[in-house]
Amino acid sequence: MTNEDLKRKADYLRLEAVRMVYEGKDGHPGPALSIADIVTTLYFDEMNIDAKNPNWDDRDRFVLSKGHACPILYATLNDKGYFGEKLEHFSLRALGSMFQGHPVMKKTPGVDITSGSLGNGIAIASGMAIAGKRSKKPYRVFVVVGDGELQEGIVWEGVNIAAANKLDNLFVFVDKNNWQSGGTVEGILGSNNVSERFHSFGWYVQEIDGHDIAQIRDAITQAKKQKGKPNVIVCSDIKGKGVDYMENNNAWHKGVPTDEQYRSAIEQLGGRK
Amino acid sequence: MSSFSGTREAFTAAMMELRRKDDKVLFVSADSLKAMRATAFSDEFPESYVEVGIAEQAGVAVSAGLATCGMIPFIGTYAGFLTMRACEQMRTFVAYPNLNVKFVGINAGLIGGEREGVTHQFYEDLGILSSIPNFTIFTPADSAQMYWAIKEAYAIDGPVYIRAGSGREVDVYDKETPFSLDGFRILKEFGKKYVVFASGFILDRVLAAADALHRKGIHIKVVDVNILYGKHPDKLADLIKEADHVFTVEDHNINGGLGSYICHIASELCPKHVDRIGLHSFAESGPAKELADAYGFSVEEICKRIEKYEEL
Repeated sequence: MTNEDLKRKADYLRLEAVRMVYEGKDGHPGPALSIADIVTTLYFDEMNIDAKNPNWDDRDRFVLSKGHACPILYATLNDKGYFGEKLEHFSLRALGSMFQGHPVMKKTPGVDITSGSLGNGIAIASGMAIAGKRSKKPYRVFVVVGDGELQEGIVWEGVNIAAANKLDNLFVFVDKNNWQSGGTVEGILGSNNVSERFHSFGWYVQEIDGHDIAQIRDAITQAKKQKGKPNVIVCSDIKGKGVDYMENNNAWHKGVPTDEQYRSAIEQLGGRK
Repeated sequence: MSSFSGTREAFTAAMMELRRKDDKVLFVSADSLKAMRATAFSDEFPESYVEVGIAEQAGVAVSAGLATCGMIPFIGTYAGFLTMRACEQMRTFVAYPNLNVKFVGINAGLIGGEREGVTHQFYEDLGILSSIPNFTIFTPADSAQMYWAIKEAYAIDGPVYIRAGSGREVDVYDKETPFSLDGFRILKEFGKKYVVFASGFILDRVLAAADALHRKGIHIKVVDVNILYGKHPDKLADLIKEADHVFTVEDHNINGGLGSYICHIASELCPKHVDRIGLHSFAESGPAKELADAYGFSVEEICKRIEKYEEL
């Protein structure tokens, strides 16, 4: 797919995520839109996966550490064909639905690990990457982590372990949109110097615009050339990216669009296809 | 079966044998290689040893990640650093997805933690885990039982917690006696009037009490409960039904462990008064034997608790 194709796909998946929240009347649209370009590039350009065989041993793994952003993951898995025929409706967060409020590995095909309790993704992904190294399998492990959740101590336990184990099969994307549930990351707890912190642990660090598909692809290409170090790609992102009233408006960390707002989102994201 | 002495050494002996047969077996250490007496394992199988440093939460998270990829990680370190510090990781990332991770918690009970003091004595672990679905909870009574417990834990596809000590355990079992998958084993059957359920490294004291009481003409039955919340509460209920008086003895807080388990069975299946012997408070530093005596686990104290009922 070309960069333009991926961009269009990301916007389509954004709209699916917004629709899912609109129909389900609950969920986190802002965080989902923030990571749409990263997730799209991974699933449609980079990851070695087979939707018909979601438990394939040698597949690349994906860990959504910021599990509340799951509407974009559910939309992606649906589009990739993980649920057989494409689903028209998701029943997000409804009783009996396979689309839980946060990702659950044994309920949703294609979800590689249960997540949603913040901070745990890098450590879990390190375990997956160590398993790959020890069993000499070629798969890689991709993680999306929020900048707010970097306040959790276990993040840095995982970062330390990954560096010590030289996990160059581990690729972490930090969704640096500078927002967390209660406010800005700086406002809640001081500095948001993500790159310096990862660098000091011995990671290979890149900084990009997380909404620029070309930059995402280039950064992955560059990261794959590195040996002996885990990789972090720090992405400058806009929470709610793609829908003007959601962009940089933390009210959309969790929120449900009105009918009118939903129609506006459809228009802004290229319409229903 | 190799020779060993102590539950940690038994753990390593069993792990070496498992790893020789299955290269998916890993030992995950939170700087606990020495504490677990597992250096022989890492020496022979360096590729099956994963070190996470002093970071139990990440250690459990790493273990969860390993298990999603088909590995069989055994993470072993101090019982409370697993069940308390990494409780959420044990619940959300192992128990909830029902992943195949084994936990070995050492220094359990005041006999396990003894001179280290309260920070390293763990008598809440069983209570914490008993409220988390999908956990199988093993409480082997000595080193030989520990060896078999590790083998049985491997055979289960899902999370297992195995309670271990720190070398102060007294061996009571024959080396060849398997770890009962019924979840209990009757070790003394002098009579039916009194049944005493015990679990863990307190068992030698309960057996000594049974002998002492027997000499005085009080005849009790001693049952080792080696799996908490196991699959056969009905069989334990049958033992409760047969007795006039029911006791539990555990090196754990009286809430949440064996005492709670037996009360739960007694109240639901065969209503009967249960007298629980266990801990009611935090303890303190001290040599294991003196500490156990001081906190209500002396043979004399156990005898007294039972003899009281002769007067009723």
